[in-house]
Amino acid sequence: MTQVTLSGLTKIFDEKSPPAVDQLDLEIESGKLTALLGPSGCGKTTTMKMIAGLLRPTSGDISFDGDSILSIPPEDRGAVMVFQNYLLFPYMTIAENIGFGLKMRKVDRKEIRTRVTDMLDLVQLPGFEDRKPRQLSGGQQQRIALARALIVQPNVLLLDEPLSNLDAHLRDEMRELIRRIQTEMGITTVFVTHDQEEAVVLADRIALLFDGRLQQFDVPDAFFESPQSVEIAKFFGGTNFIPGHYEGGEITTSIGRFRAPRSAVDGGDAVLSIRPEAVTLGAAGGNSVMGRIRSHVYVGRYARFRVTLGDIEVEAVTDPGQVKMFNDGDEVPVTFDSNKIWVIGPAAAHE
Amino acid sequence: MAVRTRRLTGTGLSEKAARRLTITVLLAPAILVILLLFMGGLVTGFLRSLGYFPLIGLNDFNFDAYSIIFTDNGFIRSFILTFHIAFTSTLIASILAVASAMLLRPAFRGKRFVQFIFSLNLTIPHLVGAVGVLYLFSGSGLVSRLATGAGLIDSPAGFPAMVNDPWAIGIIIQYVWKEIPFIGVIVLAILLSVGEDYESVARSLGANRWQAFRNVTLPLIMPGVVSASVIVFAFTFGAFEIPWLLGSTFPKALPVLAFESYTDVDLAARPQAMAMAMVIAVMSSLMILAYMKVSRRYVRS
Repeated sequence: MTQVTLSGLTKIFDEKSPPAVDQLDLEIESGKLTALLGPSGCGKTTTMKMIAGLLRPTSGDISFDGDSILSIPPEDRGAVMVFQNYLLFPYMTIAENIGFGLKMRKVDRKEIRTRVTDMLDLVQLPGFEDRKPRQLSGGQQQRIALARALIVQPNVLLLDEPLSNLDAHLRDEMRELIRRIQTEMGITTVFVTHDQEEAVVLADRIALLFDGRLQQFDVPDAFFESPQSVEIAKFFGGTNFIPGHYEGGEITTSIGRFRAPRSAVDGGDAVLSIRPEAVTLGAAGGNSVMGRIRSHVYVGRYARFRVTLGDIEVEAVTDPGQVKMFNDGDEVPVTFDSNKIWVIGPAAAHE
Repeated sequence: MAVRTRRLTGTGLSEKAARRLTITVLLAPAILVILLLFMGGLVTGFLRSLGYFPLIGLNDFNFDAYSIIFTDNGFIRSFILTFHIAFTSTLIASILAVASAMLLRPAFRGKRFVQFIFSLNLTIPHLVGAVGVLYLFSGSGLVSRLATGAGLIDSPAGFPAMVNDPWAIGIIIQYVWKEIPFIGVIVLAILLSVGEDYESVARSLGANRWQAFRNVTLPLIMPGVVSASVIVFAFTFGAFEIPWLLGSTFPKALPVLAFESYTDVDLAARPQAMAMAMVIAVMSSLMILAYMKVSRRYVRS
């Protein structure tokens, strides 16, 4: 088990453009599954390649269990990277592919053979030894790539977009496999993804990156309940935003004043954020304002309403039964659950 | 093209057959020229090599010319020399070309300039290169005089024979010089298309630089290297002018030997000349077949 620490990690490819990775500080916990999440081009894969030793950082440091590993070549780091497009060696059999790392370590042939068989069992592809990579489906290739990495018993496992090339049902299988192997072997695992759902479902902790900079490093639910900026909340999607002024646990907006004990800021200009599930219709009380229903959709498991509140429109996700209670154009009381309101600082000016 | 295909389809041909016919018709002029000039020459040459030469009263077919050259010690030595020239120069050029391509692969400042220099001698004719080798490496050449000046040898006469020598060193130097960029440019293109990710995987899995090259990069580029070197081998095996300029008087390279027999005042030596030319043609054809086989396998994987 290895703790990975990134400090001030920076990578500049081209002096004319902004850094691909900018002053990144991150403590990746030992034995945990950490996601590097962000839109494409945000520096996730670059960060991963620097950890693996395949790219040299421009500045900053990477350490495993407190010792800097920058001067250690990739083959001796014990950080194995599995690429997005698997990259099985095309001219080798599956057994040769999986055994590659052991062969490089000059492990005895017999032992390689036994361990390859064990690995094929682990990834649930027994008997695949003599096939060639091109005879395998994408999902199978992915598992072989995983087996090839795991056989060398890495201290740190790095997975680049492990699920993005797979079909929906294979994705679930692979996700479970990664989770299971990770828990069983307890390997410190970092995976890169652009899909917030994937990160939320799979990771113990998520590091969200925009433009090479760390935005928030937290447990998955924190990104929904207490995102640190409007941009972060927008990336996770679905949230209502109402600009206002925050003071003394209350936020004053153009549509009224709301109690909001939970906040990322102390006071001043701020944004009220509330997820559609925390908006209720029809029951007057504290934190309520009158609104007019503009449209609604019945989805089956739930119903989604769009409601106008003065000059603002919010979305409410409610019990499906409510479609029978309200019609478009109705005036209804709209309530924001004060414990679900999260006050964020105003959107950054440069965005 | 599409219009034409459709019209032909109307005649009852399948679309595939129609397309094939169109291509054949379009290629016909080129094929005709190749058939007439190349195959015509080859057939005439083959007939001559079998002793059929009505002009000087030889009307019978026989294998005399072949049995003469295959039992002639001079021919055997020429064949071995020619094989040595082609094989050694191709091997050295391939190794150096792969090494150069590996060095040229990473992005660096001034890369385009270096690449330009690297491929510059592709445009220089073999003959000019041969003259260069003469100036540099002959007994009275620049290298020999510099070595004398530096006190490495007593006089230019003490310089080891590198031109017109029995080991064909001058010829091999010239071929290596000329063929490195040819193979190198092909290998570099393959290296760039394969990318560095496979190597990264190998390094990440615990291979050091050399192991990654030996076990991953080399097998990936090998089909390309083999294809390029087979072309070079076939060319160097059949080329005339370089061994003619830089070769020793005995044994001579096969193409030189064939040409000299052909231009011999004794017309009766012509069948032998043609028999030698046939041997060269067969060797070249075998190489081309090998090339096609290798490149087809490469395309498939």
